[in-house]
This record gives sequence, C-alpha cells and structure tokens, in this order.
Amino acid sequence: MDMTPKLAIRLNALALYAVSAVLVLAFYWQLAFDELPCPLCLLQRVALTGLAVGPILTIRHGPNPANYGLVIIAALMGAAIAARQILLHIMPGDAGFGSAVLGLHFYTWAFLCFVTAILAAAVMLTFGKQFGPQPESRRGSFESLAVCLIIALTGLNAASALLECGFTGCPANPVRYELLN
Amino acid sequence: MEFFIAFFNFALAMWLAWRHEAPSAVYVFFAGLVFTAALYLRHATDALPLSF
Repeated sequence: MDMTPKLAIRLNALALYAVSAVLVLAFYWQLAFDELPCPLCLLQRVALTGLAVGPILTIRHGPNPANYGLVIIAALMGAAIAARQILLHIMPGDAGFGSAVLGLHFYTWAFLCFVTAILAAAVMLTFGKQFGPQPESRRGSFESLAVCLIIALTGLNAASALLECGFTGCPANPVRYELLN
Repeated sequence: MEFFIAFFNFALAMWLAWRHEAPSAVYVFFAGLVFTAALYLRHATDALPLSF
C-alpha cells in the first residue's frame, strides 16, 4: 500500500477523532456520574491534548517526521503519568480510583491509549513516501472538523479544570467544583 | 489553576499549529510539556509518597 501525503493526512485526522472520542468519554463520565478527575487524571487528559499537536501540524503543513516525534514525546509523558497511577493502585485488594470500564480503570485505559499512540506514530514513520512532494490543498472539511473538535474539547477541559480546582492548587481527591461553592 | 494553564497551553499550541507557522506551535508545545512534567513531579512526589 502506498502511503500518499493525502492518505497520511486523512489518517492523522482520524487520530484526532480518536483522541476526541477518548476526551468525550472522560467528560461524559465526569458529568453523568459526577466523578471528578483527580490531579493525575487531569494530567493524563493534558497529555492526551498534547497528542493532538503533531497531527494538526501534519494536517496544516503536511507530513513531517518531526510531527510524529511530537506525538511520541507527548505519549511517553502520558504513559509515565498513567503508569504512576496504575502503580499506586497495583497492590492486591486495592479498589483503585474511580469507576472501571470493561474491567479496567480509566488510568489503565489511558496507558493503553498512550502505548497505542506510540505504536501508531512509529508505524506511520515507516512509510517514507508520505514525506514526498505535498499536495496544494490539504484541508478538507473532514480534517477541519477534527481540528475544531479537538481545540473545542481542550478549551472545555480548561474550563472544567478551572471550575473544579478554582484559583488555587487542586485537591488530591476532589469531590466538588471549587468555583461553584 | 495549574491545570487550566496546562490545557490552555496545549490549546494555544493547537491554534498556532493551525493558523500560524510550525515553529511557534512547537515552541509552545515544548513549554507545555515542561509545565506538565513539573506538574507531574509535584503531584506524584510532593502530594503522594514515593519510594524507589
């Protein structure tokens, strides 16, 4: 299969939709079940938003190995944070933090997402033809919508974090929105 | 507040990547990464007990 620049850009847009889906699911759980994210959970969301910068650069400026490097760096950071939280609750008998989805807690799913992102970026790097001559127009509505969606979700997360933590440090186990009390 | 800044930083990096030249977005991305690492160290070591 030839990895043309156009196909690579389409795959990067799909990656943005995947990151958006993870953020939407986390948001849904936060609002529907009133489960406020802990500081390490918020940091994993921050790292998830960091994953999006590389694909946006690819969509806007064309495929470049450095963009996949940004994805790998952000994913390594996120995986380190998620692994830290997994290790906090790894002892037998520990109930873990928050709800479990399909048997795994959110931080474990986050770790798997970050590992998947590293693998996906590494696989994309093996297709050298995408780094050839670039097409003139790279932005279709599919790609533009993906970028708008992830920027909007990051803004919503910023607002949510401000509501939850207020203007001071975030509590280790938040149970209420500080700015709403 | 610190998490608001971290999210805002990456939102800014995304906007710069979309609307401006790549280097400015990359600089802001790395600033956000350093800030996130600092937050990680603060919340994983100061507030929680670590033993290696």
